[in-house]
Amino acid sequence: MQVNLRIRRFNPEKDTKAWWGEYTLSDVHPTDTVLDLLNRVKWEIDGTLSLRRSCAHGVCGSDAMRINEVNALACKTLVQRLEKKGDTMTIQIEPILGLRVIKDLIVDMEPFMEHYRAVMPYFINDSPPPADGRERLQSQEDRARFDDTTKCILCACCTTSCPSFWANGKYIGPASIVQAHRFIFDSRDEGAAERLKVVGDTFGVWRCRTIFNCTNACPRDIEVTKAIAEVKGVLATGEI
Amino acid sequence: MATANVTGMTHRKVQVQSNFQRWAFLFMRVSGLALLILAVGHMMIQHVLNSSSNLSIQFVAAQWNSWGWKVFDMLLLAFALTHGMNGFRNVLEDYIHNPQTVKIVNTVLAIFTIITVLWAGYAIARFNSTPFMGN
Repeated sequence: MQVNLRIRRFNPEKDTKAWWGEYTLSDVHPTDTVLDLLNRVKWEIDGTLSLRRSCAHGVCGSDAMRINEVNALACKTLVQRLEKKGDTMTIQIEPILGLRVIKDLIVDMEPFMEHYRAVMPYFINDSPPPADGRERLQSQEDRARFDDTTKCILCACCTTSCPSFWANGKYIGPASIVQAHRFIFDSRDEGAAERLKVVGDTFGVWRCRTIFNCTNACPRDIEVTKAIAEVKGVLATGEI
Repeated sequence: MATANVTGMTHRKVQVQSNFQRWAFLFMRVSGLALLILAVGHMMIQHVLNSSSNLSIQFVAAQWNSWGWKVFDMLLLAFALTHGMNGFRNVLEDYIHNPQTVKIVNTVLAIFTIITVLWAGYAIARFNSTPFMGN
């Protein structure tokens, strides 16, 4: 199969504005991933193409990008899952939105990480450990409450698909709320009040308009909007 | 080796700091529930149980002859306008980034909402059905 790739290119040292690079690849297999195609462009056609990638198996979260106007991981997106018109297929690839483009498909993740750090994404418990010196035990029911939000790989697909985040980058975004949820709902954690101060702020959960883009974009199938609603529920009732 | 058996779900209370956004969120839930009854009730009465093509001033006059319906419509007016304006404020706050401008816009919206609710509420309360009845 032949595939035409339209890739949003920008080199800050040469370009004043972004442009579309067009590349044609033949012998593309339906089971190739979009990352495979990008690697072919970089290795065989134009070595200046810049993108982040690492594990290539949907675990590291490096290669989040906008593929045919939808946020996804390039390494998890199979060519056969994309829409085909006639014999050839055109795939449009852009950097994720809402973050400054450094070069081509690479964006500045620092604002995203700043929001992530703000929710204190680590275990807080100052009480002494159990007398037997072993781990703090937790029931299966308690563990299940935050199971979904442990799956986040910080790829930023959710946050950069959110129109509220596009409109105002001060909004901490779905990914940070997912991280806050993971610890707020952990029965062993004692930092919920501090985290709720952050997510209950003007630029916290209240900026969520339940658009569901985040849930659709998540490559880990986390029910992001549901997690945000649960955090809103805790803020409304004061009960976890 | 013996293992501890931990079962059941833990429920915790947590201290939550309240702010305007939290109250605005709770108000949207409460007013949304109220509008489910008021707005759907209004639609049922005006457009389902009665045909909107026959809607006349006499029909409205007959309804507003009772204080019950006047209060129903005043509540509908108050909740619909405040719910809508609060939503509008939310949308505007997404796009207006200057805190000072946000404050000015919110004040204008609040004044508009209060004046409209009071003025329209007064009009409903003072409505005299007598001239339109029995025609």
